[in-house]
Amino acid sequence: MRVSLFVTCLADQVWPSAAVGAVRVLRRVGCAVDFDERQTCCGQPAFNTGYRPEARALAQRFIEIFEAGAPDAIVSPSGSCTAMVRHYADLFEDDGWRARAKAVAERTYELSDFLVNRLGVEDVDATFAGRLTWHDACHGLRDLGLQREPRRLLRHVRGAELVELPNAESCCGFGGTFSLKHPEISVAMLDEKVDAIERAAVDAVVSGDASCLLQIGGRLSRRGSRVRALHLADVLAATA
Amino acid sequence: MTSPTFADAARDQILGSIRAHLAASASPAPVPPVPRPLSPPDGASNLLDRFTSQLEAVGAQWTLVRGEVEAARALRRILADAGAKRVAGSDATLVARLLPERLTDLSRDELFSCDAGVTTAQWGIAETGTLVLESARERSRLASLVPPVHVALLSTGAIVASLGDALARLDVASHAITLITGPSRTSDIELTLVVGVHGPQTVHVLLLEEGE
Amino acid sequence: MTFEADARAALSDVQLRGALRQAATLFAEKRRAAMATAPDWEGARDRARAIKDETLLHLDRYLEQFTANAERAGARTHWARDDAEACEIIGRIADQRGARTIVKSKSMATEEIHLNTALAGRGIEPIETDLGEYIIQLAGETPSHIVAPAIHKTRGQIAALFAEKLGIAPSDDAAALTAAARQALRRRFAEADLGISGVNFAVAETGTILILENEGNARLTTSLPHTHIALMGIEKVIPRFADLEVFLQLLPRSGTGQVLTAYQSLLTGVKRHPDDEGPDELHIVLLDNGRSRMLRAPVTRQSLACIRCGACLNVCPVYRQIGGHAYGSVYPGPIGAILTPQLIGIERAAHLPYASSLCGACRDVCPVKIDIPAVLLHLRAEAIAQRAGTSRFFERRAFRAYAAVMARPRLYEWVMRVARALHFTPPLRAWTKWRDLRPLAPRSFREEWRAGLGRETDPWSPL
Repeated sequence: MRVSLFVTCLADQVWPSAAVGAVRVLRRVGCAVDFDERQTCCGQPAFNTGYRPEARALAQRFIEIFEAGAPDAIVSPSGSCTAMVRHYADLFEDDGWRARAKAVAERTYELSDFLVNRLGVEDVDATFAGRLTWHDACHGLRDLGLQREPRRLLRHVRGAELVELPNAESCCGFGGTFSLKHPEISVAMLDEKVDAIERAAVDAVVSGDASCLLQIGGRLSRRGSRVRALHLADVLAATA
Repeated sequence: MTSPTFADAARDQILGSIRAHLAASASPAPVPPVPRPLSPPDGASNLLDRFTSQLEAVGAQWTLVRGEVEAARALRRILADAGAKRVAGSDATLVARLLPERLTDLSRDELFSCDAGVTTAQWGIAETGTLVLESARERSRLASLVPPVHVALLSTGAIVASLGDALARLDVASHAITLITGPSRTSDIELTLVVGVHGPQTVHVLLLEEGE
Repeated sequence: MTFEADARAALSDVQLRGALRQAATLFAEKRRAAMATAPDWEGARDRARAIKDETLLHLDRYLEQFTANAERAGARTHWARDDAEACEIIGRIADQRGARTIVKSKSMATEEIHLNTALAGRGIEPIETDLGEYIIQLAGETPSHIVAPAIHKTRGQIAALFAEKLGIAPSDDAAALTAAARQALRRRFAEADLGISGVNFAVAETGTILILENEGNARLTTSLPHTHIALMGIEKVIPRFADLEVFLQLLPRSGTGQVLTAYQSLLTGVKRHPDDEGPDELHIVLLDNGRSRMLRAPVTRQSLACIRCGACLNVCPVYRQIGGHAYGSVYPGPIGAILTPQLIGIERAAHLPYASSLCGACRDVCPVKIDIPAVLLHLRAEAIAQRAGTSRFFERRAFRAYAAVMARPRLYEWVMRVARALHFTPPLRAWTKWRDLRPLAPRSFREEWRAGLGRETDPWSPL
C-alpha cells in the first residue's frame, strides 16, 4: 500500500509530532509512505472565511500535486483538512476540474478512517500509560462520519484507559477565524468543554485535529490544568 | 377594496420573480418523493388499546361504555365530577339524546361562561391519541374549545391507526377540521409544563363500543 | 448595538446563560425521546425534503393551484411583494372591517414584517395571545426563540411583569402566572372582531391552511372573530393533502419533542352556511419579501425548505451561549444566520453568516436536512465577493499574502524558517487574552522528514 502523506500546514509547522506519528504508524502496519514536499495548504482557512478564488487556486495546486505519483491513498492527520479535500468538487464549475477533484477526494483519508476502514486495522501496537478522553472534532465527526474509529484504535492501546467525555461531540469553539472574530463566544464554548475534561479527571484529552488541540490545549494551560492535549497520532505512535 | 389592477400587479410580479429565478438556476430533475411506507394493519382490539394508552400519555381521560343508556349515565357522572353546571352542546343528535339539558345556540358571552362542552368526534387516531372533528358533520368547533372541560363522544369503530389514515378519510367540504390531542398546554414560562391555557384544561373521551 | 456588543452582554448575563443551558438540555432529551417514537425518522426526513424540493422547483404552479382552490372555498387571497405591502394589506382590511379588538396568534412572518409596529401607526394594537408572545408584548421586547419566544425570561421576571401590568399579586408559580394571562386574554377573545394568524403549511391540492399549536389561542383567534387574516410566506405551500402527514410527524418532534402538538386546525375557505361556526371572511396574505430570489441557486433554495421548528437553535453551541436577541434579527440561530442575509440582503447582515463555528450540529437535526453550513459558507463567499459589511482591510491583505505564500513552497518554507528563527509570535490578542498560543515547533515536519524520517525503512520513493 503506497501512501502519500498530506501533512497539513498546521501539523507541519505547529504540531509535527502528529504527522511524524502518522508516518511511523502507517509504516508499522505495512504501508510505504512518501511525502511530496511541494504541498503547502489545502486552502481551508480561505474557503471557510469566504475567500473562494484563493481557496480554488490552492485546491488546484493540491489536486495537481497529489495526482502525480498516483498513490494508493492520501492520508492526513486532520479531519477538517480531509473534509476540505472531500468538498473540493464544489469549488469548480468546470467539469474537468470537478472530475479531477472527485478522483483525488476519493483517495484521501483521515488517519483513523484509513487504518480502521481501509486497512481493517484496529491494533497498531501502541503503548501509552494514562487515562485518556476523546474529543470529537466537528468535521471528522459530522463531515466524515468518524466516531467509532478513533475510539476503537485507542481501546487497543496498551496501558491506556479511555473514558468517554460527556458531550464529546460538542464543538470546542475553534471554527477557524471564528475563534478570532468572536473570541468571547469561542471561549465560552471552550470553557464548557474544558470544564467537562477537568471533571473527567484524565491525564490527557485526545483529538484528531490539531486545530481543536490548539484551542483546547491553549485554554487548559491558561487555566493551569495538568491535563495535556494530545493528537491521536501522538498516542498511536507511542511505544513502551 | 383593493383595486384589481393593483392586486394583480403584485401577484404577477411575485409569480414572475419565481419563474425568473427558477429559470436562471440550472438544476437537474428532482428525485421523486420516496413513497410512504405502508403501516401494518392492526387488529381492532389493538387499535382501541393503542388509542386509550395514547390518550393517557397526552393527559386525556377516557371511559368505555356500551350502549346509550350507559353512555348517558357516564356522561352525567363525568360532568358532575367536573362540577359542570352549564354545559354547552354541539348540534349532534347523539349529544341531544344523551344530554337533553345541554345548552345550544349560545351567544359568545354565554359560551364563555359555560363550564363544559360536549361534542362527538368523527374519528380517533390510535397512534397519537387524537380526536378529529369535521365541521361539515357537526358544529363542534366552539363547544370543544371555549369551556374549560371538553367531553367527546367517540365510537370505537371510528378509530383509525395513523395520522395518514385519518387524513385519507377527511374531506375539505369541512371548512374547519380540528385535530385535538389532549388538553391545552404551554411551556413558555421557564419551560415548565402547565396544562390548561386557552383551550380546555380537561379532555374526557367517552368511548362508545361499536355495534351498539 | 452591534453583534459583538450584544453577544458580550448576553455572555455576561448569568441568568440568560443558565436558562439557555437548561433549555438546550431539556430540548435535547425530549427530541431524542420523540425521535425514538417515529416509525422511520430518517425516511421521514428524506421524504419531507423531497416534497419541499419538488414544491420549490415548481413553486409558481403550486401557489397558483393553492390560491385557486382557497378562493373556490371562499377565501380571499392577497399577494405582498414585501413587508410594507403586507402590512398595508392587513392594515387596510382591519380598517375596512372597523376592527376594534384584534387578537393575534404566534407567527414569525408577522414579526418579520414588523406588523405590530405598522398597525400601531394606524392606531391599531393587536393583542398577542400566545403566552410567550403575550409576555414579551407586555415587556416591549422581541422574541428570542422561534418556538419559545420568552425563553430568556425567568419566572421571577414574568411575575414582576404581570404584577405591574396586570395588577396581580406576584407569584412564583408558573400555573398561577399562566392562569392570570388566560383570564386577561379570555376577555379579549370574547370581544375580538378580527384575528390574525400565521400558517404552518398551505396545501395546494385543496386550498387548506394548517395551523399547529398547544395553547388553543390560535383556534380561538381563527374561529371567534368574524374576520380572519392569515399571513404565509410563499414557501409554506406543499402539494398534496396527504403530504401533511410526514410534516406532522417531523415538526412537533423536532420543535418541542412532542409526538403531536395539542391542536391542528385545517382551514379551507370560509363557512359554507351562515349558521356554521367560524369567521365570515378569510384573507390569506402571501408574502414574498425576498423569498423568490432564494430560488435561484440550489444551495440557497434549500433555505426555503425550513418548517420553523427551532431544532437548529436548540442544538447550536453558539445560540446556547448568546441566545436569540444577540443575533439582532427576527430569525435567530442557525436558520436566522442564513435566512436574514437572504431576506434583507447580505450588505445589511454580512456579520450573521460568520456567527458560527461551522460545527454542523444544526444540519444533523434539521428535519428537512437543510445543509446550513453549506449555505453559511456560500453567504460568506458572497459577503467577500460583494465587499459587504465591515471593511476587512487587513483581512483581505492577509489572505492575499497567505495565498501568495502557499502557492510557492520554497517561499512558504523560507517564511516559516525566518519566523522560527525570529521566535515570531503573531500579535493575536483576540487569542492570547484567554488562551496560551502554542509556538511554532522547533523543527517543522518537513525538516524532520529531510533529517531522516524520510529515509526510515522506505522501499518506495518515486522522487
